[in-house]
Amino acid sequence: MSGTNVLDDIELVVEDIGNGGGGKPPDHEDHRGGGGDDGNLRPRRPNPSQSGQRRHQTAILLAMVSICMFFMALAAAFLVRKTGKDWINFRLPPIIWLNTIVLLTSSLTIDLARRRLAINDMSGFKAMWRATTALGVAFLVGQVVAWRELVTMGFYVGSNPSSSFFYVFTAAHAAHLIGGVLALFYVLFRDFTKTDRLSLPVAAEVTSYYWHFMDGLWLFLVALLFFGA
Amino acid sequence: MFRSSLAATDHKTIGLRYLWLALVSVFLGMITSLVMRIQLAWPGPHFVASPDAYASLALVHGSLMVFVVLTCAPQAGFGTYFLPTQIGANEMAFPKLTRLGFWLTASAVIGMVAAFFCAPDTGLTVWLAAVLVFSLGAALNALNFAVTTIDHRAKGMTLPRLPITVWAWFINAVLSLLIFSTLLAACVLLLSDRFAATHFFAQIAAPAASPIATWQRLFWFFTQAQVYVAIIPCFGIVTHLIATFARKPVFAHRGVVLALCASGLSGFWIWGEHAFAAGLNPDAPLVFSMLATSLGVPASILLISWFATLWNAKPRMTTAMLFSLGFISLFVAGGLTGLLLSRAKFPALSRGDELVSGHYHLVMGIAATFAMLAALFFWFPKMFGRALSERLGKTHFWLTFVGVYLLFIPMHWLGLVSSLSHPSGELTATSLVATLQLCITFATVITIAAQGVFVLNVAVTLLRRADARDTNPWRAASLEWARLTPGSAIAVTVHRGAYEFLPVGIRDSAADFLPQNAPPTETLPPPLNPGAASLDPLGST
Repeated sequence: MSGTNVLDDIELVVEDIGNGGGGKPPDHEDHRGGGGDDGNLRPRRPNPSQSGQRRHQTAILLAMVSICMFFMALAAAFLVRKTGKDWINFRLPPIIWLNTIVLLTSSLTIDLARRRLAINDMSGFKAMWRATTALGVAFLVGQVVAWRELVTMGFYVGSNPSSSFFYVFTAAHAAHLIGGVLALFYVLFRDFTKTDRLSLPVAAEVTSYYWHFMDGLWLFLVALLFFGA
Repeated sequence: MFRSSLAATDHKTIGLRYLWLALVSVFLGMITSLVMRIQLAWPGPHFVASPDAYASLALVHGSLMVFVVLTCAPQAGFGTYFLPTQIGANEMAFPKLTRLGFWLTASAVIGMVAAFFCAPDTGLTVWLAAVLVFSLGAALNALNFAVTTIDHRAKGMTLPRLPITVWAWFINAVLSLLIFSTLLAACVLLLSDRFAATHFFAQIAAPAASPIATWQRLFWFFTQAQVYVAIIPCFGIVTHLIATFARKPVFAHRGVVLALCASGLSGFWIWGEHAFAAGLNPDAPLVFSMLATSLGVPASILLISWFATLWNAKPRMTTAMLFSLGFISLFVAGGLTGLLLSRAKFPALSRGDELVSGHYHLVMGIAATFAMLAALFFWFPKMFGRALSERLGKTHFWLTFVGVYLLFIPMHWLGLVSSLSHPSGELTATSLVATLQLCITFATVITIAAQGVFVLNVAVTLLRRADARDTNPWRAASLEWARLTPGSAIAVTVHRGAYEFLPVGIRDSAADFLPQNAPPTETLPPPLNPGAASLDPLGST
């Protein structure tokens, strides 16, 4: 192989970092601004996320699509299984409706928190964020209460496919919601001045997307269990 | 030392680990297939005591080959290693996610192998749990791939300039995101049936299915999804290699990208339909016939592109190119048998037998393995600083190529003989059947022995010192071959697509390409002899 002298002729075009990745060809634009939030991106420093300004937002959107598929698969199984002869309907435990209101309120408070953050009102942001976290935990406790109500009604996990689906849906949703609560705690207690890989506004934004998504998913699941059964 | 090795997040390290994992699994898988062949050629209790043990052996063979080799190696292995470098990024978008994905996959592989050594019922549970962990790892990996491709491209790396390999990895990542979360849901339901006494998959008070049937059903259920996940990166790799060795741009570049998208799409919907509309009751031959028809259109577009790229070219017949051409040959041969299977009445005659098995192996397993070997020969100099021996490589190729045809054509024949003479589908011990079984077993031995040449090649090459001549031996134009300083504070800028090769006779043969990061002042001169090798008008960007 005679590949040695080739690469010596080729000059690599080198440029400073700080520009957003992808996008248009750079031939006519020398100094495009990066993404919206590259304020903490220091020039002249090797930065692994040179062009990954919006990677957290992209990641959460794709993760939502994936989680959606997970629940759609469960929902499809629910709709198929419902036609079986051994299916027995049961009444949803009433505390479910209270839990739904709690979760909807938390979606409201997380949005208020982000509005506080946007005008740099840190104490207002923290208060609203704490309220969201508390409501999230309250929802999880409420779900456990719902399970206990179901048990007192005599519906166990394995009693009937209908109650099995209720337990699987609520448990899977709770597992995903616990992730959201952990993210809420992370944003609350993390010192974002120490790292330049993730900033507070981005973390709050991504968490709020996920939280709203969990809210919408819950509404879908309740509607499925209520109208589908 | 050990701890730091466990904690590695570097995409090259992790990518290589996937490849080693696949290499070990492919040899384990070959040993199991040899045991099964011996069992089929000389029936009797040699290694396999009962039909149950045979079924679990088949499951181990299938899971290792499909999950680890076919799913991991082309996507997670080569993809993790080369996706960031091909788009000019320093790392994957989330390096810790890369690490998590790898360790989840590795523990899933251990679980799948461990399932073989458990009692049938426990084994099934262990296997299911392993598949759950694998799906989780694959979904996380896919997320990482998709985000990296969307957000971490170098300046100037527009979508039309992406190499076809990156397109394939990206489309496959999106497909994996959808498919593996669905698999995860199925695993959750199945596991809760086993642990929490729920009845998601069987009516209450229904008779339990026999363990063998359950093994096979589960395996085919998961395999449906894997078919597409495994073959799409191979399409990308083969397209990339053919353009590079033919020294021509990919013909109908956009058409190829659209065809890849279409195969991803068809892979998604056909699988969803079969998994749930059919109520988890896969009818293997029917599935494969549907699959063959649904993959037909994008596959034809890809075939047209490959042949048009090769048209009038003077391809360099390196080992990597030979394996790419071998892939096309096997894919076409497998597609032809797919046509047989897609005839509505045909599969009913030959359910679950050698015809389906032969078709599936030819088009999926062996073809994909050829694409992986092509990729390995192509990228070996980049990964290890020295190229594999071409002479040993070509010996390996021809032995394997002849071996797999000797193996799978009799297998198709066997399927036809046994199904047409006995519509009930049962195998009778006619002399022809026995001869064919023996022939297949001997071909298996030859093919597996040929892999010894490959092992020798890798071992000998790794013992050699790195060679400066191998920095870009194939004169490829994509970014991974460009000499960049690793970890430096400078970013690469891309000015052109990945397939800008000069027609033969423009420059001396050593400098007949423009790397993607060559300055815009360098342009392609018009071809000296337009009739001889015209540049593709549709594809160049």
